[in-house]
Parts: sequence; C-alpha cells; structure tokens
Amino acid sequence: MSDPVSVTTDHPVREASATPPAPGRSRHLSDRWLTVAFISPALLLLLAMSVFPLLWALYLSFTDYSATRGGPATFVWFENFTAILTSAQVHLRAFTTLIYVVGAVTLQTVLGFSIAYLISRRTHGRGLLTTLFLVPMMLSPVVVGLFWRFMLDAQFGVINSMLGSLGLGQVEWLTRQNTALISLIVVDTWQWTPFIMLIALAGLTAVPKYLYEAASIDRASEWFRFRTITLPLVWPLLLIAVLFRAIEAFRLFDLVYILTSGGPGVSTETLSFHVYKVAFLGFNTGTASAYGILMVVIVIVLAQLYMRYLNKLKED
Amino acid sequence: MRYPKQIGRLSLPGRKVQLATVAMLMAATMAACGQDGGTEASAPKAPADIPELTKDPLTLSFIWFDWPPAKALEDFANAEYTKERSNVTIKVNTVPNANWHDAMFTQFAARKTDFDIPILDSQHIGEAVTNGNILDITDFVKKNIDVDAYNPYLLAAYGQFPQAETGQRDENASLYGLPLLGDTWTMIYRKDLIGDKPPQTWDEMIAVAEKCQTDNPGVSGLAFHQANGSDAAAVTYNTVNGVYGGKLWDSKTRKIEGVINDAAGQEAMDVLVNKMKPLTAAGSGNWFIDEVNAAVAQGKACIAFNWIAASGGLLDPKESTLGTTREEILEKLGFATLPKQKTDLVPLGGMGMHVSAYSPAAQQAEALNFMKWFEQADIQKKWAAAGGVPSRTDALESPEFLNAQPFNQVYADSVSRMRDMWNVPEYARLIDIENTNVNAALNGAKNPKDALNDIAKEQQGVLDSAGGKGGGGL
Repeated sequence: MSDPVSVTTDHPVREASATPPAPGRSRHLSDRWLTVAFISPALLLLLAMSVFPLLWALYLSFTDYSATRGGPATFVWFENFTAILTSAQVHLRAFTTLIYVVGAVTLQTVLGFSIAYLISRRTHGRGLLTTLFLVPMMLSPVVVGLFWRFMLDAQFGVINSMLGSLGLGQVEWLTRQNTALISLIVVDTWQWTPFIMLIALAGLTAVPKYLYEAASIDRASEWFRFRTITLPLVWPLLLIAVLFRAIEAFRLFDLVYILTSGGPGVSTETLSFHVYKVAFLGFNTGTASAYGILMVVIVIVLAQLYMRYLNKLKED
Repeated sequence: MRYPKQIGRLSLPGRKVQLATVAMLMAATMAACGQDGGTEASAPKAPADIPELTKDPLTLSFIWFDWPPAKALEDFANAEYTKERSNVTIKVNTVPNANWHDAMFTQFAARKTDFDIPILDSQHIGEAVTNGNILDITDFVKKNIDVDAYNPYLLAAYGQFPQAETGQRDENASLYGLPLLGDTWTMIYRKDLIGDKPPQTWDEMIAVAEKCQTDNPGVSGLAFHQANGSDAAAVTYNTVNGVYGGKLWDSKTRKIEGVINDAAGQEAMDVLVNKMKPLTAAGSGNWFIDEVNAAVAQGKACIAFNWIAASGGLLDPKESTLGTTREEILEKLGFATLPKQKTDLVPLGGMGMHVSAYSPAAQQAEALNFMKWFEQADIQKKWAAAGGVPSRTDALESPEFLNAQPFNQVYADSVSRMRDMWNVPEYARLIDIENTNVNAALNGAKNPKDALNDIAKEQQGVLDSAGGKGGGGL
C-alpha cells in the first residue's frame, strides 16, 4: 500500500484545498469550504452561547448597569474591580472558598486514590465495584444536597440517629459555624471522590505489569513498589483530576444553596454564592459581571501555573 | 506518521471567516450595548375601563411560591372564575420560596414574562414599580373597586407606592396592586401542655414555654423561623423588635443606623437570642415554615409561631401525631394572636396581585377583569370558604371566613395591629443583610449586639449608596 503522501507533507491543508472537488461535487465547494461548512454550526453555537456572553459580561463589568433598573450603562471603568478586590466581604468569601477547595479536593484525592488502588488490586468484581462507586457522581448535586440535608438534620436525620444509638450526642451539622463547612466538604467528597477514583484507576490500570514483575524479582517491598513505580506513573494523571476538581470546587454553588443557604450567617458563603446574591438580589449586574470575570481570570491563571508544573513534571 | 500542520498565513476563506466572526461579534455587542432597556423606568398605566375581552381560549398565568394557598387559588379560580369566563384557564405557576423574588425579577429584567399576574410580597412593590415592571392601576381601581370596603392599611400595604405609614393609606398615592391573600403570624400553643388560656404578654409566653419545656422532656418550649433564606429569620427579629417597641427605620429620613439598633432594638435582639433561642430544638437554626409546622404536628413544640395561611396542614390527621381526627387535634392545639409587650404590633404578611407590564394586551385585560371579579364581596367570601384569607372587611367579618378555620379569628383580630417592613427598591438587599445577621446571631456565629449593629450599618450603607457608582451590591 502506498504512503498517503499528500496528507503528510508540511503543507497538507493547502494542498488539500488545491485538490479538485470529487466527481459530482460543485466546483466551488472545495475541501476548505466543506470544512468551514461542517464546523460552522458548532462554531456559531460556541460564539453565541459562550464567547458573546463572555464579551458582553466583560463590557458590563466596566459599567454600573443593572438588568432590572434598565437605563443606559454608564462606564465606571475599573471601579467595580477595585471595589471587589478591596471588599472585606469578598475577602471573607474567598477565604471560605479556599478552605472549602483545599479541604474537599485533598480529601477526595486521598480517598479516591486509595479506593482506586484497592480496586485495582482485585481481580474479581472490579467492574461491579467501580460501577457502584460511580453512582454518587451520576446524581444531580441538587438531589444530593436535598437528601443529605435530610440525613444531616439535627432532629430527625439518620446521621444523628446513628450517633445517638452509639451513645453520642446530637450534632448540629448545618447550623453551627464549625460544622457547616465540614458538612459541605463531606457531602462534596461523597459525590466527587468517584471522579478522582475513576481517573486514578485508569492510571493504575495503565502501569505496565512488567515493572512490578521486575520489582518482584528484585524482592522490592510493597511500599517501595508503590513509591517508585505506582505513584510516579499515576501522579500526572491524578494531578489532572485534581485540577478538574479544584476548578469545579472553586465555583461551588448548588450544595451551598441547598444545604446551608450560606449560613449560619455568611460562614459558608462561597464566592459563587456571593456572586449570585450580588447579581440577583440587588441586580447589580455590572458588579456581578466584574466579580465573575475576576473569578474566571483567577481560575485561568492558577490553571496555567498548574499546567506548567504538570508539563515540567512530564518532561522530567 | 507526521500529522498535518498548518503553517504560515491562513488561506483566504479562513481569514474571511475570522473577519466575519469578529465583525459579527462586534456588531452583536454594539447592538446589545444599544438596547439598555430604553427610557427611564416608570410603571405604565392600566386603562380605567377594562378593554374588550377575548373570546378565544386564554390561559391566565400567575406566579407565586409553592405553598398550600397557591394550589387553593388555582382550584378556586378554575372552579369559580370559569363560570363567568368559560374560555379562560387559570394557571398558578409556583417556585420554591427562596427563588420567588429571583423567578419574577429575572423575567422582569428580560422585559418578557411567562406570567400575567405576579403575586408580589408587599415589600417587592417598590422594586417592581421603580423598574416599570407592573402596571399602575390607580385609575382602574378608582373606577372598578370599592375601596371603602377595605381596611385602608391592607389596601395600601398590598398596592400602594410609595409605602404608606403603618396603619394608614395615602389616598393620593398610586396603586399598583390589589390584595390577594392576607396573612400574619399566629401563636400556636399546646392546650394540653400549657392550658387553654394563651399567654398574654411576650415575657409570660417565654416563661410558659420554659416551664413547658422543663415539664415535658423531648418537647421544646418554642419553635419559630430562624432560617437563612427568604425573610425567615428577619421576620422573627422584626416581630420581636415591634413587640418590644423598636423601629426598623425612619422612613422619612431613610435612617436605619441608630434606629433599628437603639435600646429597644437591642433589647429585642437580647430577648430573641438569649431568652427565646435556648427554648428551641437543637438544630432548629435553619427552620422555616415547613419545619415549624412539622415540629407542631409531631408534638415537639409547646408554643410555635407561623404564618396563618400556612397553618391549614396542622389540622390534617394524616400529617399530625396529635390526633386521628381534626377535632382531636383541636383539643390539643390552640391558635391565638401574638402576645403583647410594650406594643401590640404583629407582622404583616400576605401578598397582592399585580399585572405584568410585559404581558400581551389580551392577557392584561383578562388580568384586570380577574382582579375586578376577585374583589367582589361574594367572591371574597367564597375565597374565604375555600381556604383563602380575604382583605375586604365584610368578608373578614363574615361567618364564611370566621368559621372556615380555627385561626381565622386570629387574623381578623390582628388586622389593626399589623406592621410591614421597608417597601423600597433596595428591599431584597436589606432583607438579606438582616436575615444573614439574625441567623448568625441565633446560631452563635455572631454576638447579638454586633449582629444588630452590623445590620444597621450595612442596611444604611445600602440606602445611602443608592445611585452610587461602581461596586454596588457588595
């Protein structure tokens, strides 16, 4: 079979576009135009649903516009950004979000990897176990929030009932400052640990068996094999999972809304929940847009730094 | 194998596509920038006379939050209004209470609503009027509604803007709505635990609840709204504030700082957090209407406070452990007006109905016709019999209303004692500030005095910053 030279040159696309149309096709419909025709619906959808709203939000972020009050949008330039970055209320929500992200993602990573490691060592029932562990991830966060709200209820919740049967006292899971955020972390961990587990399991399954066999011949200990073979090979994949989870956790809204409404007081209000209040309670659309843009920028910057570290890790 | 790699400049069609895309985005952005909602906001006027009604099938849509009166209204209106207008179907769309404001005002923001009659909380009127979201029905009311049939304050509370003084109506002010459902808090007490006679003063009520809690392990002395969402915790504080002689603000000078947190306000916060909260069940810091009702129905509270319109379920034997029949339950449960202390104020609840400024003309005409029909004396009595709380004085005094539910007399006795919150465009933010701070104080996340001072400071900031530039809403 001959090598398809025409598509492996340095200028394949240009050559492709110079290729005459296939018999039966209009002479004006070149491969290039055909490509554009195929991708344009998706591209237009992307532009309409993502790019344009982002640009529109960027424009609004420099104004004092309010969606309900109407009237002209007056440019206030960077005043919204300055107000957000210097607001003690925003700093408090940022700190709450940070604790939440670090707590939830760390717990999910440790648990997810541990479960994946244990499952990967099983030869029987691995598929069934994996499927069962994935169930929480498939549920809607609102549904998860609602049933955890019932389970964590201090008066008639099953968690306190179990604690009571063990002779332990009632815990006000959702209405005390020191337990409400922990409860959010636990619920998020319950739902999203399977995600880390799934990616870690994929990494663990891909580790070549001959490495373990070689280590066994060298009488390497279990810990040594884990430390020098398993972890280094799975680590990059795990870090990608951590990145996804951290981004998701950073914009947490639904669980807060259902479980605590940000309370007690504002002690579990995350940045996303605060943006929602700014946007829909006072309809301060300009401020909310600036808030949202700042959050996107923070995520992009942190993700970029993280990706650089990840690439460096891969190169090493 | 080497992968195709694009190098150099784009070919002509590629560049054309890019240029077209950029041009399209810029055009769309500029077009969007140009449509800011148009002119200065002000409520458009409804005609004094009801325009000709359509004979075609028509669905008249309401929006309300999900609670028993919503279902009662839909059933009642479909059964009764269709006798007069057989081509009309009434649909009462509901959303969770916490989304109620957002569900209406996000549609108002889009200048397009899928409802014709928004049922606004009395405090939402200012925001809706200022933004031009609902019709000014002053002329319509003058021509079609017998305003003398109402307690003036009820008519004002559910329709007037600017807000009326407590207990009064400004006859020169415009009206933007008519009463749909009256409401206030009732005190629900266990007759079998504290006796037939309800406590008369707030201090006595606390003492009785404390004794009841001590005498009955497993039953908490009090149950009331404390949740962070909606207006739950805020209404509780406002009620205690009123009873202890406090004020929420000075509406003439728009002053909150130094008013809500004066000595009376501080005393009210102290009573709420240090005397009432310890008598509630553990974990009740996120209770609202349903949770308080559940505690009463399960026999877990000696005294509870709840909205009258949400109390019907308490008498349902299927939902209660207090008895197997309504009569058995009523042997144990009593309903009374709120105890007095320094004043006899009670919170004004309930809602009015309004006409969306963005509904088609045929729907607006039908909405006005519905309002005229609904406010008739005989219809108000039927509404009372169907489980509603009317606002016309004759309906309130009618046996149809007073005999319909054991707590209806409580409402009739409370009408002259009602006080509302602030009805200003900034209401949603004011209530959020108060709610989160009272909730924080009730759940130990904030010192009560600090919480009240924070409420005063933050609310004052919201009122003072109205019209300010940049960073609004933080």
